Amino acid sequence: MEQKIIDHLFRHQFGKMVSILTRIFGLAHLETIEDAVQDTFVKAMLSWRTQMPDNPEAWLMQAAKNRMIDLFRKLSAEQKRVPNFTSGASNIAMQNMFLKHEIEDSQLRMIFTACHPLLNPQDQISFALKTISGFSIKEIASALLLKEETVKKRLVRARKSIKNKSIAFEIPMGAELPERLDRVLEVLYLIFNEGFHSNKKDILVRKELCGEAIRLSQMLLNNDLTKHANSYALFALMCFQSARLNSKVNEKNELVDLKNQDRSKWYFPLIKMGNDSMFQAVENGIFSSYHFEAAIVAEHLKAINFESTNWDKIYSWYEKLYALQPLPMTLLNMAIVQLQRNEFESAFLLLQKIKPTDLEQRAYLFYGSLAEYFIKKQDYNNAITNIDKAIELVKNESEKEYLIKKKQSLF
Amino acid sequence: MKKFMLIFIGKGYEEMNLSPEEMQAQMGKWFAWNAKMEEAGVVESGDALTSTIKRISGSDRTVTDRTATEVKELIGGYYIVKAENIEGAIAIAQDYPDYDHGGTVEVREIMVFEQ
Repeated sequence: MEQKIIDHLFRHQFGKMVSILTRIFGLAHLETIEDAVQDTFVKAMLSWRTQMPDNPEAWLMQAAKNRMIDLFRKLSAEQKRVPNFTSGASNIAMQNMFLKHEIEDSQLRMIFTACHPLLNPQDQISFALKTISGFSIKEIASALLLKEETVKKRLVRARKSIKNKSIAFEIPMGAELPERLDRVLEVLYLIFNEGFHSNKKDILVRKELCGEAIRLSQMLLNNDLTKHANSYALFALMCFQSARLNSKVNEKNELVDLKNQDRSKWYFPLIKMGNDSMFQAVENGIFSSYHFEAAIVAEHLKAINFESTNWDKIYSWYEKLYALQPLPMTLLNMAIVQLQRNEFESAFLLLQKIKPTDLEQRAYLFYGSLAEYFIKKQDYNNAITNIDKAIELVKNESEKEYLIKKKQSLF
Repeated sequence: MKKFMLIFIGKGYEEMNLSPEEMQAQMGKWFAWNAKMEEAGVVESGDALTSTIKRISGSDRTVTDRTATEVKELIGGYYIVKAENIEGAIAIAQDYPDYDHGGTVEVREIMVFEQ
């Protein structure tokens, strides 16, 4: 009978195996370890072809143990420093690395390694996707809209930094922990946003990035050291956003804005998970930007249709978010909300505080909002000028089509 | 019913550099193909081959090592299937999963000697 393998089993197992073996042999051997694990999957693939093992996961774990022994022999033969297996106690310690909570511990260490402050921020995401999430260079390039060559360079640079700066494979403790955890959350948030706001039409790739970010965040919540209020808030934010992912694109693969999304497509189990996490997040009463962002998305989710959106509440969350983290993107969002509340002059003032170039690839949203303001003021000449600028700057095809449609409706 | 050998030729999976995700997807296709053939009762046997290659040749039986990277057309495995005729065997080979990765199937009828 045909058995079904759990989705992404290989990918997730790759991350686990690399983390366990790195904990045993050290980050210095990361490349050798990755090759050995890759080889395990080639073997699995060939030998499972006709006869799948009863428990694929256990088979792979056993294979990881065998790889441990291979690596031990290989590295000893190369006169590299290897852990001492000869005593019974250390042997037991090695075997224990394959227990569930130790595997999770190893994976967390890998997350902290990937998000280490001594690594170049650009390299952190690629390295995390490769080493923890088991993406190939091609998959990373496609997900992040980068050239494969660029991804390769980033991975090489990250590995070099880890070696040269002797980064330790550990979960930071004490005073160092909060700062390091902040960076981990930031990287996971970036991975999530790469998926959620991607210019890529392929919804599957986007879902995979969002899914990975959620999976890694969930790991943080399973560990006493990392299940911080901010981790809960970030997890909630990701759940809330993901709940809407299916409704962001319609059957014709066109982007659908919040106003026109089919709210019945919003995925309730994720909203529920987000809510549960939010309760944990607010317990100590200290809020991060993730708290406010999650609150804003939750407010959208609460509205049964676009018209019943509580813009007043959303605006006040944005004000709090801006007070904590004054980013131009937040100002832009505030202006958009003010347009919804018919506070046109306030919207205009907010927009004037923004330097469009600061918004980088999202500058088109600035011109789109300015156009919206002029439409409300029935100043169609200025509206068209700005909508043209937005059309010129927008990269995403479906958003471009949306803007063009909007422009045509003005005539 | 005649018997045919389907011989799979192409780069080894070690050389293809597939990601874990791609490997899982590829394996799923092999499963599906195998299941389909078993259900139809056409598959006799089959194996995947490792990429260790030893060649023995010449009257002095010289043994040479070939590495998978040297061999452009590596035989990666085979199936023996039953079919009415060669067209039937070709039809079975349609579901071979590695065409997109540069793989080739060679269909050869197994010779039967009549007395």
